[in-house]
Amino acid sequence: MGTSAYTKEYFCLRGTSTYARGYLAVQLVDVGLELEGNEEEEEDERERHRGRRRDGDREKKKRGNGRRRRSSRGERGEEELQTRVEKRERGRMKKGRRDPEAKGREREEEEEEEEERPEIKSCKTAKTRKNIKNENARKMEEEEEERNAKKKKKHGSAKREREEDRSKCTVKEKAREGRRRKHKRVETSSEPETSEEDDLKEETEEREVRPESLSPEELEMLKEAVEEKKKLVQGLRGKPWPMKKKLVTLRESQEFVEKYEGALGKGKGRKLYAYKVMMSKKWMKFQRDFENFKTACIPWEMKIKEIESHFGSSVASYFIFLRWMYGINMILFCLTFGLVMVPEALMGRPYGTIPRKTVPRAEAPSAMDFAVLWDFGGYAQYSVLFYGYYNNQRAIGWLKFRMPLSYFLVGVGTVAYSYMVVIRTMARNANESGVGDDNSFNFSWKIFTSWDYLIGNPETADNKFASITTSFKEAILEEQESRKDDNIHLTRFLRVLANFLVLCCLAGSGYLIYFVVRRSQKFALEGLETHTWWERNEVNMVMSLLGMFCPMLFDVISALENYHPRVALQWQLGRIFALFLGNLYTFIIALMDEINLKREEEKIIKFNITTWEASLYNATGSENSTAPPVTFHPADVPRGPCWETMVGQEFVRLIISDTMTTYITLLIGDFLRAVLVRFLNYCWCWDLEAGFPSYSEFDVSGNVLGLIFNQGMIWMGAFYAPCLPALNVLRLHVSMYLQCWAVMCCNVPQERVFKASGSNNFYMAMLLVILFLSTLPAIYTIVTIPPSFDCGPFSGKKRMFDVIQETLESDFPAWFSKVFSYASNPGLVLPFILLMVLAIYYLQSTSKSYKEANVDLKKKLQTQNEENKRKNKLAALKAQTDLEEARAATQTAERQKNINASLQRQHAEEEEDLGSSQRKNGRPPPSVRHQDGRPPATRAPVPRTLHPDTHRSLGYLPGGGFPQQREPRMHRVPSLQRH
Amino acid sequence: MVSPAIALAFIPLLLTIIIRCRYYFVLFYRAVLVRIWKDCVTGLSREERAYQYVLTHATPGDPDSILDAFDVWCSKVEFISNIGPKKGKILDRLLMEQSPLTVLELGAHCGYSTVRIARSLPLGARLYSLEMDARNAVIAEKIIRLAGFDDDTVELIVNPSDEVIPLLRSDYGLERLDFVFMDHWKKCYLPDLQMLEGSGLLGKGSMIVADNVLFPGAPKFLRYIRKSGLYEWKVHRATLEYSKGIRDGMAELVYQGIK
Repeated sequence: MGTSAYTKEYFCLRGTSTYARGYLAVQLVDVGLELEGNEEEEEDERERHRGRRRDGDREKKKRGNGRRRRSSRGERGEEELQTRVEKRERGRMKKGRRDPEAKGREREEEEEEEEERPEIKSCKTAKTRKNIKNENARKMEEEEEERNAKKKKKHGSAKREREEDRSKCTVKEKAREGRRRKHKRVETSSEPETSEEDDLKEETEEREVRPESLSPEELEMLKEAVEEKKKLVQGLRGKPWPMKKKLVTLRESQEFVEKYEGALGKGKGRKLYAYKVMMSKKWMKFQRDFENFKTACIPWEMKIKEIESHFGSSVASYFIFLRWMYGINMILFCLTFGLVMVPEALMGRPYGTIPRKTVPRAEAPSAMDFAVLWDFGGYAQYSVLFYGYYNNQRAIGWLKFRMPLSYFLVGVGTVAYSYMVVIRTMARNANESGVGDDNSFNFSWKIFTSWDYLIGNPETADNKFASITTSFKEAILEEQESRKDDNIHLTRFLRVLANFLVLCCLAGSGYLIYFVVRRSQKFALEGLETHTWWERNEVNMVMSLLGMFCPMLFDVISALENYHPRVALQWQLGRIFALFLGNLYTFIIALMDEINLKREEEKIIKFNITTWEASLYNATGSENSTAPPVTFHPADVPRGPCWETMVGQEFVRLIISDTMTTYITLLIGDFLRAVLVRFLNYCWCWDLEAGFPSYSEFDVSGNVLGLIFNQGMIWMGAFYAPCLPALNVLRLHVSMYLQCWAVMCCNVPQERVFKASGSNNFYMAMLLVILFLSTLPAIYTIVTIPPSFDCGPFSGKKRMFDVIQETLESDFPAWFSKVFSYASNPGLVLPFILLMVLAIYYLQSTSKSYKEANVDLKKKLQTQNEENKRKNKLAALKAQTDLEEARAATQTAERQKNINASLQRQHAEEEEDLGSSQRKNGRPPPSVRHQDGRPPATRAPVPRTLHPDTHRSLGYLPGGGFPQQREPRMHRVPSLQRH
Repeated sequence: MVSPAIALAFIPLLLTIIIRCRYYFVLFYRAVLVRIWKDCVTGLSREERAYQYVLTHATPGDPDSILDAFDVWCSKVEFISNIGPKKGKILDRLLMEQSPLTVLELGAHCGYSTVRIARSLPLGARLYSLEMDARNAVIAEKIIRLAGFDDDTVELIVNPSDEVIPLLRSDYGLERLDFVFMDHWKKCYLPDLQMLEGSGLLGKGSMIVADNVLFPGAPKFLRYIRKSGLYEWKVHRATLEYSKGIRDGMAELVYQGIK
C-alpha cells in the first residue's frame, strides 16, 4: 500500500505515450524544484483523479481495481491466517484511514465490500462441506471438548471478535488451511483445537440466520451491486476488451448475480423474489430449448450447417436449393396424389373392369417381369401411375368426384403454383440483394467482408485464407494492370477461344443426339425387338453420358478464361444450361415425332376397331339374333396406342435413367475414387492425395443444373404421368442423404472457397426459364393435339380443355356459364390483356425511376460526406493555426517578462515543447491542455501539482538525473524549427 | 455390341483427361520413355550422360556455370529430378538466412544440390552429403570436385541414410546439425527424420528442408510433422522442377525441441 505503488499505478493509467511523454517533459523541469513531495497533497491529487476517472468509465475501472485489490487481498489473506489480532489491527487501521479520505474513497470501500462478500460466502460453503467431511473427527473432538469445558471462558473473547464478517472468513480460511494440521492435533493436544471447533459450530448456526441479519443499508448495497453486475453483463459485448477478459468477467458477474439475487428481499418477499428469478430462468431456458427445437424441426438444417462449415457457402447453397426444391415437390406430390391418384384408386372402377384398365392379352404373360416393370410397362403401365388408366366417367364414387376436371385442374395448378413460388422467391431474393456492392471500395469490401464466418473446419479455413490472399494479390495486380492494357487482348482472345471451343462442343453433342434420335426412330419403325438393349437405350445413354462428360470439358476449357470463380461458376452454369437445354429439346422433338407416329397408328386402329365391332355384330347377328350378346374379356378388346401414356412413360424412364446416372457417377466418380486414392496411396509412387487424382471437389454448377433440369422434366411430364412428382420426391429425398454423405466422406473443399450469396437468384432465374421452356411443350400438346379416343380422362372429347366447358354447362347455373362465355369473349379478353401490359409497363417504369432516384441519393450522400470531411479538416486546420498564434503570442510576452529568470524560461519552453508534442499527436489530451491554456501567472503551480506523480515515476526510469537535464535542449530544436 | 454413338459420347471425357493430365504425360515421356530410349542407344546411365554434358559445357571451378549447365540439360535434353532453379532459390535464401556451419544432405544424386548448398555456405562450414548408389556417388564426387569444393568443405559418404545417421555422432564427430536437406527416397523422409530426432543431433533452431513433399510426395512425413509439435513448419509451394503445371512443395521445418 505504499505511495510508490499508487504513483506507479497512476502513471500507468495515464495511458497513452503522449501523456507519458508530456509528463516526462514537465517532470524533467521540476526535478530540482520539489524533491520531497507532500504526501497529503499527493493523496488528494490521486483521489481527485480517481474520482474523475471513475465517473468516466467506472465499470472498466472497477474491474481493474477489483482484480488488483483482490490479488492484494489474496496476499493479505495469507498474512491474516497467521493471527487474528493482526487482522483486527488492520481493520482499525483501515477505519482510521477512511476518515480523512474523500467520498471517492468511500465508494471504493463499497466495492471492496462487494468483492469481499463472495469470498465470505465461499468460505462458508467450504466450511459446511468440510463439516460434513469431518463428522467423525468432530465427534472425537466433542468428547474432548466436554473434558475441557473449563477452557470455554477463553473462547468468549474469540466469539466477540468473530462478529466482524472479515474475521469470520479468516477463521474459516484458517480452519481450511490447517485442516490436516488440526486432525493431527486432535489426537495430541485438544486445547487449541476445541476453540476452533466451537468456531465452526457457531459458524454454521450463523449462516442460517444470516440473510435476516443483514442491515437495510447492506441490503441496499447488495441490490445495487447486483444491478451493476447485471448492467455490466448486458453491456459486456460492446466493451473493447480482449475476449478472455470478457469471458472471465461474464462468468464472475453471472456467478455473483446468481448467488445474491435470491438473498434480496426479506421473508416472504424474498421467497417470492427467488421464485420469480427461478421462473424467469426456467423461461429463458425453455425459450432457448424451443429455439433449438425449432432448428431441429427444419429438415436437414444441421446437416447443411455442417456441410457449410466444411465446404463454404457455395456448396451449402446447393443443398439449400435442393431442400427448397424438395418442399415444392412435396406440395406438387400432395396435389397429384391427393386429388388424382388416390380418388381414382379408391373410387374409380377397379382394375380389370374396362379395357383401358386391363393389361392386353398379348402382354399379359410378361406383364409382371421385372424387366418390363423396370421399363414401366406391363402392370405399371396399366395403373394409376399413368394417364391412360383414368376413366372418362364424369363423376366417380359416392362423393361425385369430378375426376376429369380434377385431373385437368391439378395439371394446370401444379404449373401455376410453381410459377407463383419461383417468382415470389425471386422477388424476395431481389429485395434482399437490392443493396448491391459498389465497385468503388473494392479493397475495403475485400478486407471487411471476404471472410466466410460459417466455416468451421481448419482445412477449409486454410483454403479460405489462401483464397483471400490470392484474391488480394490478384486485385492488386488487376489494379496495376488496368492502366496498361497490353494483357487484355490476350485475355479477350482466350475468352473468345474458350467460347468458340464450347460452342464446338455443344454443336458436336447436339449433332450426336440428333443422330442417335434419328437412328432410334429408324429402329422403332423396324421394330424394337430385333435390336440389342444398347441400341434400344441409345438415346438415354448418350444423353446421360454427354450430360456427364461435357461439363467436365467445359470446366477444363474455362480454365483458359481466368475469371473470378463466381463469374466462372455463372459461365459454367450458362454453358451447361445450353447443353442440357439442347439435349432436352432434341428429346422433345423426337417425342413429338413419335406422337405423330402414334396418332397415325391410332387412326388405323380406330378404323380397325369399327370394322371389328361391325364384324362382331354381324357375326352375332347372322348366327342367332336371340342369343345374348357375346361379352369379351376386356383384355381381348383391341385398343389404340395411347400416345399420352407413351409420353408419360418416356419421361418416367428418362427420370429414372437420369437418377441412376447421377447416383452411379456419385459412387464411381467420388466414392470409388476416394477409396482408391485413400488406400492406394500406401503403395503408390507419388502422393495420390495431394498430387494428381486427389479427391474430387463438389461440382456445384453441374449438380444445380441437374436438379433444375430434372425439375423441368417433372413439370413437362407430370400431366401425362401423375406418378412423376412422387418419384421426384423420392429421388430428392435419397439424393439429399446420399449427397450429404458423399460430400462429407469423399469430397474436399474447393481450392478457392468463395461466397455464393448472390448466385441464389441466378439459380432461380434459371429455374424460371426452365419452367417456362418446359411448360411450352406441355401446353402445346394439351392445346393442339386431340386426346386418344380410348384412354385417359379426356377420351371422347375433341380437346382436353373441353372438360371445363362441360363442367360449366352441366354443373353450374346457366347464368354463370353465360357470364363466363361473355368474359372469355375475345373482345373482352384482348382489352384486359392490353390493360395488364400497360400496367406492367407503368410499374416497370416507376421502379426504374425509383432506382435512379436511389442512385442519385447515394451519390448525394457520398458527396455530402466528402464535403463534411473537408469542412472538418478545414476547421481543424484553422483551429490549429489559431492556437499556434495564441501560443506564440503568450510565449513572446512571457519571454519579455521573465527575461532574466532562466529557470522559468526553461519552464516556458518546456511547456511549449509539450504543446507541440500534443499537436503532433493530433488529439490533444484534455487535462494537460486545460492546464496549458491557463494564464501564465497560474502556470507555475501546475507543474508542481503534477510533479509528485511524475517525479515518482522518474525513479522507474533507467538513467539518473544528468541525462534528463540534458534532454530538454534536444527537444527544443525541433520546436523552434516548427515556429 | 456397344453402338458407336455411345462410344462417341466418351470423347469429351477423353479430351478432359488428356487436357487435365497433359503435364503428367509430358513428364512421363521425358522422365521414362526418353530415358529408356537413350539408355539403350548410348549404353551409358542417365547421370553419366549428364556428367558428360556438364563437362563439355561448363567452366570448371565455377559452381554457377555448372548449375546452369545442369539446368539446361535437365530442361532441354533429358529429365533428372534435381532441386531445380526455382526451388533452389528458396533453398539459397534459407541458407543465407541461417548460415549454418554443419550441413547434412541426404541424397546427393549427381551433385547438383550439393554444389548448390556448398556455394552458399559461410566460410568454415562443412557439408556432409549422403548418397546410397555407388555409381551416382562417383558422378557426384566428380561434379563436386569440378565445382572446386575440396574435402574440407564437402564430404561425400556413400552409404544409405539409415545406416549413416546413427553413426554421425560417433564416426564423424558431429555435435549438432544446423541444416538438413532431404532429397532422397520419399519413403525414407519420415524414418530418417525420426532417426535424426533420436540421435540428438538436432538442436533448437536447426532447420530441416525436405524437397518434393507434394509430388512425388511424402504424406506420412507431412502428417508426422503436423502432429508432432516439435517443429515450426511451413510448405513453400512451387512447381515441380523443370515442369510448369505440376504442383510441388518444399517443407521447411525449424526444430523447436521439446517444450
